[in-house]
Amino acid sequence: MVGRSGAPQDSALYVPAAILQDTKHSGLGCPDCHRGYEAGYPHRVATRVVPCQTCHEHEGRDWEASIHAANAASTGDAPTCVRCHGSHIVNGPSDRRSPTHALNVAALCGSCHADPRITGTYFATASKAQARTAVAQYYKTVHGNALTRDGLVVSATCNDCHGAHKVLPADSAASSVNRRNIPATCGACHVGVVEVYEQSAHGAAYRSGRKSIEGHEAPVCVDCHSAHGIVRADQPQWLLGVVAECGTCHERLYETYFETYHGKVTRLGFTLAATCSDCHTPHDMRPASDPRSSVFPSNLVATCARCHPAASENFARYRPHGDARDRARHPQLFWTWLFMTALLVGVMAFFGIHTVLWLARLAIDRVRGGRGTGEQAGRPELRN
Amino acid sequence: MAKRALNAADRGEPRYLWRFTPLQRTLHALVIVSFLGLVLTGLPLRFAYAPWARVLVRAMGGLQAAGLIHRFCALITFGYFFTHVGSLIYRTLRGTPWKRILWGPDSMVPQPKDFRDLVGMFRWFLGRGPRPQFERYSYMEKFDYLAVFWGVAIIGFSGLLLWFPEFFARFLPGWAFNVATIIHGDEALLAMSFIFTVHFFNVHLRPEKFPIDLVIFTGRATADYLKEEHPLEYVRRQEAGAIAGLAAPPVSRAAYLWSMVLGFASLGLGVLVIALVLWAVLH
Repeated sequence: MVGRSGAPQDSALYVPAAILQDTKHSGLGCPDCHRGYEAGYPHRVATRVVPCQTCHEHEGRDWEASIHAANAASTGDAPTCVRCHGSHIVNGPSDRRSPTHALNVAALCGSCHADPRITGTYFATASKAQARTAVAQYYKTVHGNALTRDGLVVSATCNDCHGAHKVLPADSAASSVNRRNIPATCGACHVGVVEVYEQSAHGAAYRSGRKSIEGHEAPVCVDCHSAHGIVRADQPQWLLGVVAECGTCHERLYETYFETYHGKVTRLGFTLAATCSDCHTPHDMRPASDPRSSVFPSNLVATCARCHPAASENFARYRPHGDARDRARHPQLFWTWLFMTALLVGVMAFFGIHTVLWLARLAIDRVRGGRGTGEQAGRPELRN
Repeated sequence: MAKRALNAADRGEPRYLWRFTPLQRTLHALVIVSFLGLVLTGLPLRFAYAPWARVLVRAMGGLQAAGLIHRFCALITFGYFFTHVGSLIYRTLRGTPWKRILWGPDSMVPQPKDFRDLVGMFRWFLGRGPRPQFERYSYMEKFDYLAVFWGVAIIGFSGLLLWFPEFFARFLPGWAFNVATIIHGDEALLAMSFIFTVHFFNVHLRPEKFPIDLVIFTGRATADYLKEEHPLEYVRRQEAGAIAGLAAPPVSRAAYLWSMVLGFASLGLGVLVIALVLWAVLH
């Protein structure tokens, strides 16, 4: 092996023969990777390292297609195989000691992606702002917590979503985190959820690429759950925040929700009242015209009964998005609101004038030298 | 108040005259306490979007606690409402004819004189006539009183609907709860807007009475007060020789202090509520 001379001056070059023992490459000898030198020391300049993809063909091809390869070629400032896998000690992702082990990946990727120099150079534009805080955010959220706190190796880490080798920015069509590929990427683990999602109105619109009247694309997983800020769906932060996520597309329904008791309770920061997914389901949302929808008329009682066990047909005719300004849809609410508003404005205007004139009268009397305290002309003679 | 050479006591009149019975004063105190409780716990929900709403609801001990206080105050409200109606019935059983409760100078029912007084007040405001003289209850007091009747009935019933929706859904369609929400919130908004501005001004804050009128708390008014505010009642009682029978002892120091505390605390909270509403509406 290299450095066999053992001379002290060569210690920097000395690689003990045993270094490959207990690694994935334990069966290899130096010449399997280091070619072009002949036995003897010092080696000739023509010495070269065999590309990893000579053996790791598939991984090599993926890396070649990645943004890392492009940057490595243009600036040299991107990871090649050894940056992540190590040079001699290559243990493979299932080895706890390996930097590519699930519990170590975030730290490995973070060694560049949490470095302000890297994020400031490659993610400087506004559209890539998310990437600048991605690693820090990841550690705080459900996937990161599962790894660091619960030690769960099955939780998603960087490469589970971004791929290990074919890492590409989200705007690249071939990227695993491109919008078109998100359901498949998340669905690799969340199998049951994606199954349901694909059957839903969102899933159907996603498949067909159809946009809403307002021009919104169908949401994919990250639109509601975010990419790195994912929180558990039973956390108050999620329960209260998801309404705003739905509201980014369903603007009118978002506004009218807050006109109701449910919405007001949610807006006050309490998770005591129904939010969107309580009635519309988290992933199986369908239009009210779909007989399989949780808000299809004949399913409403069951939907309400999830929170209101005594719900009846009548009860389920509550308007959870009742909008008093919408005369065509909710005439009862509109006329009630108009009457109450007229009453409020009428009474307050009348007595407001009453009060202002009263004050003015007293002020005038006072200025004119009267007592200004309501002297009563024509007061009856009081007998003493 | 008109300056006189001799005050009432000097002229041999009682210094204080009874105006409100202990029951009336108790009920009014209950109205104050329950109404403020209802307003402070209901307001954050009505104006959930306001920046102060979360702070206020947390100050109440959270939404569930606020809901509990709200319902407790609702029970007090129903309590004083039915106690009052019961007391009217009791009075008729004790010999007061219905007619005297429903009509005449001691009745709370609006009568032609009240409309004449209203017009007369506007004429006085505009310098076109003398200031009208009131009987036992001015049209403003009658309006306040009937507003509570109307308010308790409307807000109370819509509130019950929202309290027990599953039960009321046996008879009512679901949208009735949307309607009840609008009515409950808007009528409450009207009630607080009115009480914390117009009622406060008419009864406490106008220059003749500023800063507070304690008669509803202590139950007794000075003779001068009655001559000023309710001259026709004073004359009527004088002619009936009933003044001496109304003589009241001076209010005790403790009762006076309690009245001041309750009165000023309510005034302060009411003005605070108006500020919060304006903040929310104008925000």
